[in-house]
Amino acid sequence: MHELSIACSLLDAVRVELKAYPGARVTAIGVRIGELAGVDHESLKFGFDAIVKDTELDATRLEIRSAGRDELDLAFIELEDA
Amino acid sequence: MTNIVVEKKVLNENARIAEELREQFHASNVLVVNLISSPGSGKTRLLERTLELLPAGTKAAVLTGDIQTDADATRLARFGYPVRQITTGGTCHLDASMIRRHLEGWSLDELDILFIENVGNLVCPSSYDLGEEAKIVLLSVPEGEEKPLKYPSIFFKSKLVLLTKTDLLPYVPFNLETARTNVHKSNPDAEIVELSCQTGDGLARWIEWLQARMAVCV
Repeated sequence: MHELSIACSLLDAVRVELKAYPGARVTAIGVRIGELAGVDHESLKFGFDAIVKDTELDATRLEIRSAGRDELDLAFIELEDA
Repeated sequence: MTNIVVEKKVLNENARIAEELREQFHASNVLVVNLISSPGSGKTRLLERTLELLPAGTKAAVLTGDIQTDADATRLARFGYPVRQITTGGTCHLDASMIRRHLEGWSLDELDILFIENVGNLVCPSSYDLGEEAKIVLLSVPEGEEKPLKYPSIFFKSKLVLLTKTDLLPYVPFNLETARTNVHKSNPDAEIVELSCQTGDGLARWIEWLQARMAVCV
């Protein structure tokens, strides 16, 4: 079960991107996970929901798409228009 | 809605540190291998035998990861090579920052080969690049020949598969041919070496595999 570590890294990566959009509200985060990445989708969602609780990213939708090989990518961040 | 297209690795920070480490390893001509397996497949035993058998004058070092205890470092230190224990305190894998931290004070220029013994786990270590030249996965005969199908990620990412404890073949239902086929289903390019640390069978081939790669690194 390393999905919690991966959820923390995902959150760090998202926050790095968000520095360019101060004050923006995130509605969704898109992740692509390869079938050989060794990452369980449900565990990642569980870990993600747990660590964003009571933060500015609380209730952000995590969209996970399957991919072919061992990708583990932050694909996109969806923002609510100001 | 505004959509920011990011398209970066989730483990971007780990990948960045791993790439820095890889550059340092290349600059110092040190071969780095990352040994991964289930708990009890014989990683530490293999390292003991390997340190015994390395040609005289080989400058080796070991980083050995465990959730608790420094038992493995104690076992490995008696061969006279530098050994450091990485105790993760619960984390089920090593990451690149742990490697960087535990290399502090060691001169890579004075090494030919660095062995990293990962935490015993076939799943989580496969996600973390440590800057190594090769991941090597061990599968011991009593574990059964289906492991490469059950844990395809780590077999897919490993250059070499070591089938260990072959001295137990007469006593356990393990079909070598099926195991080889299963490894190649997960990774058609994987090399396979069968060995027994107990009898010594196959160890020469393993040492040759390392020496061939050390020669490339020099």
